[in-house]
Order: sequence, then C-alpha cells, then structure tokens
Amino acid sequence: MTTSRRDAPLIAALLIGVGLIVAPFVFQMFTRAPEGASMIEDFRPYMTPDQVEEFRGYLVEIDAAEAETTQALRPVLAEGGVDYDATYPSAATLNSTWEAIDTDMTDLLDRMDANIDNFAAVDALPSFELFPWFFVLPGIILAVLAVLALRARSAGRDGRGLLVTLAVVGVALVLAPAVFQMFSRAPQGGDMIDSFRPMMTRERVQDVQGYFITLGASEGELRNVVVPTVAEAAGYTPAEATTAFPATSDFSADWPTIVTDFAPMIAAMSDNVDNYEAVDALPPFALFPWFFVIPGVLVVVLALVSARRPEPVPIEPDHLPTTQGTET
Amino acid sequence: MKTRAILRVLPFVIVAALAATSCGSSSDDESAGTDTPSESTATDTDQETADESESEPMLEGELIGLFSIDPTACSDADVTGSYFRMIQPEGSLDTGPFVPNADSACADSSYSALSPGSDGGLLTGTQQLPPDVAFDDAGNGVASGLVEPVKFFGVDFALAIDGEAAVPTVTAVGDELSGDLSAWTAYYANLVFNQGAPKPDGTMPGLTSDVTGTIDPETGAYMLEWSSEIVGGSFNEFTGVWHLEGTFTLAG
Repeated sequence: MTTSRRDAPLIAALLIGVGLIVAPFVFQMFTRAPEGASMIEDFRPYMTPDQVEEFRGYLVEIDAAEAETTQALRPVLAEGGVDYDATYPSAATLNSTWEAIDTDMTDLLDRMDANIDNFAAVDALPSFELFPWFFVLPGIILAVLAVLALRARSAGRDGRGLLVTLAVVGVALVLAPAVFQMFSRAPQGGDMIDSFRPMMTRERVQDVQGYFITLGASEGELRNVVVPTVAEAAGYTPAEATTAFPATSDFSADWPTIVTDFAPMIAAMSDNVDNYEAVDALPPFALFPWFFVIPGVLVVVLALVSARRPEPVPIEPDHLPTTQGTET
Repeated sequence: MKTRAILRVLPFVIVAALAATSCGSSSDDESAGTDTPSESTATDTDQETADESESEPMLEGELIGLFSIDPTACSDADVTGSYFRMIQPEGSLDTGPFVPNADSACADSSYSALSPGSDGGLLTGTQQLPPDVAFDDAGNGVASGLVEPVKFFGVDFALAIDGEAAVPTVTAVGDELSGDLSAWTAYYANLVFNQGAPKPDGTMPGLTSDVTGTIDPETGAYMLEWSSEIVGGSFNEFTGVWHLEGTFTLAG
C-alpha cells in the first residue's frame, strides 16, 4: 500500500468532520433551531390534555349559548317585530358564523390533542438551540483527530492512539441518537410538524383572531343589549333573566376567563408562525438520527481500515542483496 | 444689680425697636399705595401683561406638564373628547373596519370612551408606570393613573407608560404639536401591547402614524392623535387609534 492510499481513510474521516461542521450552516440551523426552541417554549403551556379539554369546554359553552340565542332569545325579539339581524348585528353574526368557527376551532384543538405525546417527545429532546452544536463539536473533534493522525503518519509514527480515539468518537456518534431516543422522538416531532402545518399559517391565525372579535362582540351585545331587552319585555328581573337564559348567562359570566385563556394561545400561534416555518424548513425530523449514525459508522470503519498494519512489500529479486558487488 | 436690671430690660427694648421699625416700613408701603393708586394699577397690569407674554412662549418647544384628558362625549354620531378605536388587520385609518366594542357607551360602539385617571391625564417628561402587579385575577389591567381602565370585550384594558421605552415628550411649534409617545402601553387580559408612536425601536410598522396635534397657546387647549399597529401577540396587525383632547398645564 502506498502512503497516499494509506492516508485515504484519514482524509475521508477529515472530510466527514468538515461535513458535520458545515451541515448546520447549510441547513441554517443556527437561526432556525433557536426559533424551534422558542416555539416549543411558547406552546408548552397549551400542549396538555387539561388545557385542551378546557378549551373544548369553552366551545361547548359557546355552542350552548348560540343555540339558546337562536331558539329562545331571537324568537322573542322577532315576535316583537324587531329586525334581529339589523338591530343586533354582532349577535346575528355569531348565529351565522358559529358553525364554521366551531368546526375550525375544533379542528385546531383536535390537532393539538393528537400531538400532545408528540410534543412531549420533542420537548424531551435536548434543546433545539443545542442542535447545531451536536454537529459542529463532533465534526471539529473528528477533523482534529484526522489531521493529527495524518501528521503522525507523515512523521513516521503509526498514530494508533489517535485512530482508537477516532473510532471511539465514531461509536459515540452512532450511540448518541439511541441515548437521546431520537429514533422514536424525532419521527414524532416530524408528525407534529406535519400535523401543525395547516394551522400554523398567517391566514389561519388571522381567522382565529377574527373569531375572537366575533365572539367578543356578540357576547357583549348579548350581555348588554339582547338579554336585557328580552328580560324587560318578559318582565324578568336580572336574576330571573339569568335563570331563564342560563347558557347565555354562563357564556357572559365566563367570557373574561375565556378571553384571558384564549388570547395568550392566539398570541402563541401568531408569534410562532415564522418560527414554525423555520423548523419546517429544516430537514425532516425522521432523518436526524441518521445524520449521526451514518457518519459515526463511516468513521469507525475508516479508523479500523486506517489502523491496519501495512502488508510487507514483497521484495523483487532484482533488489535482493548480492555479494557480486563486492567482487567488483 | 444695675447691670443685671439693664440686661433684663434690653431684650424688650430690642424687640420693641424692631416692631417699631417694621410698622414704620408697612406704613410707608400703604401710604405709597394709597397715594398713587393709578400707578399701582398700571404696574399690576403691566406685570400681568408681562406674565402673559412670558407664558405664551412657554407653550413653545418641549411641553413638560399635564395633558389633561377630557372625557368622551359620544351619545350621538358626533364624538368629542378623548377616545380609542381599533382597526382590524388589513384595514385603513379612514374606513376601518373598526372593531366594535360592545361594552362601549358610545352610540357608535367602535369608539371606546376614555376618562382621566388619578393623574388627570398624560404627564410628559416623566413616566406613569404601571403598578408592580399590572393585572387582577381576572386579567383586567389595573393601572389607573393616566386613564381609568376601559372595558373592552368584557375585560378592562389599562394604560401606562413602559419604563423601558423613552419618556413621553410632546413638542409645540406654533400651534402644531408633535411628540414621542413610544412608551404608551396597554395592559389587557394578562397581555401587554405597545401602543406608542413611534415604536420603542423607532420603527413605524403598518398603520402606525406620527403623534400630531394642535394646541391653543393662550388656553392650552390641545388635541393629540396617533395610531399604532400591534406587532405580535393575539392582536397582531390590529391598529389602535388614539385621540386625546383636553388642556395642557405646565409642570410646577
């Protein structure tokens, strides 16, 4: 084996190290990964079964209030000759749009619900902010070891210790995804990213903001105008009106809580549309374990190949020492 | 013995002498005023004129003091006084669409009435900071120095000055006003929304507009208005429109 052929495995290991260093820059991980970390942080309070159930409860409550508006309040006012849609436009908008709002919000909550375990898996991974360094640091170590081994070779030493270290780093790369359970968690993260894609768009977030306006305006109109008007017509006291229209009364009583719970969630969605896009632009999560395993295996193999002792070079007869020379 | 007697009497003599001197002086002043009443009046008038001419230029340049907030009168289509409106995303300053606030007492519910807080209005040159705990348990904003909290969609929003941003300033040039109200901040539903112009980083996103207004240099009657687009959060890209009216009073 010539010197250049013997150095080839080390040069390949060096290139793998350089590749690991360069990869985060190519995939813009230094900017995108922290955005992912920020998204995980912002969504954490909402990705729990209790929180999702609470939001579902609000939808049930609003649904009941809307039904009561349609079935009880609206007919009373219509009987009195009131043009409900014109006189109470916000309440009327709730009636005309609630079905679509409910469907859309339920879909949103379904997506959150279905991804609670996936979110927990991703949240259990090391922080996204560290991701680029998981490539860069092993890459630097590999590159340095490969260079030192090459220099040792050129200086006539076998550099066996460096090769062993190189192999150990390769093994560590192979084992790292298993240690961090990346083979199960990373695909779960991928599933979550796929599932969130329809809801993490600027248009969808603006739709949800619009629902908030529709609900808030209608609740206020029901509380301040519609219910008091009907109560007055029916001769109810405020307490009697509360009993007569329990669903609407519950909606109004809980609305401040709904606002303070929903508003931060809408904020989390709105503030993370760009972060989501950054994470979505990263390579598929399911591939991430292989970004460590494949280089790790290659490095181990290359270290082993490089560590083989060179085969003795057969000496050709022409080069055998002779005694003839002494005769001359 | 004689000496002791003199020492005992001496203080009384000194006090009596001082009193006599004081009375004499007072009497001189009174006689001067009585003798020349017209001169005295003229002098007072001259002084008032001088004060007025001195006060007028003081409503030039940076105005440090209180911009009191006149409560809103909005029971019909004509809205006067101070108010707040909110424009929906992709709307315009002229045509909205404006968010209806069903808790507004105005005939046009897109106007939310403002009334002065315990400080009487906006203080320039200082910071009307929110309380340490800016919200109650229900998420209502509780700051009440600048304006009284305003019910908006069932929850109170409060206004205060963000201590991290620039101290509010308003400048008069003739009867025109301009200013930096970048620290104007709303507290609502446990969330904080910058509503200043320009934004604290100096930018003017979306429909954010400069603080402009007018002032009557003689009376201090003023009008200030600006708009500020919300950046981020649950009301991302909604725009607050602020209109303040009242009277400016110099500090001190």
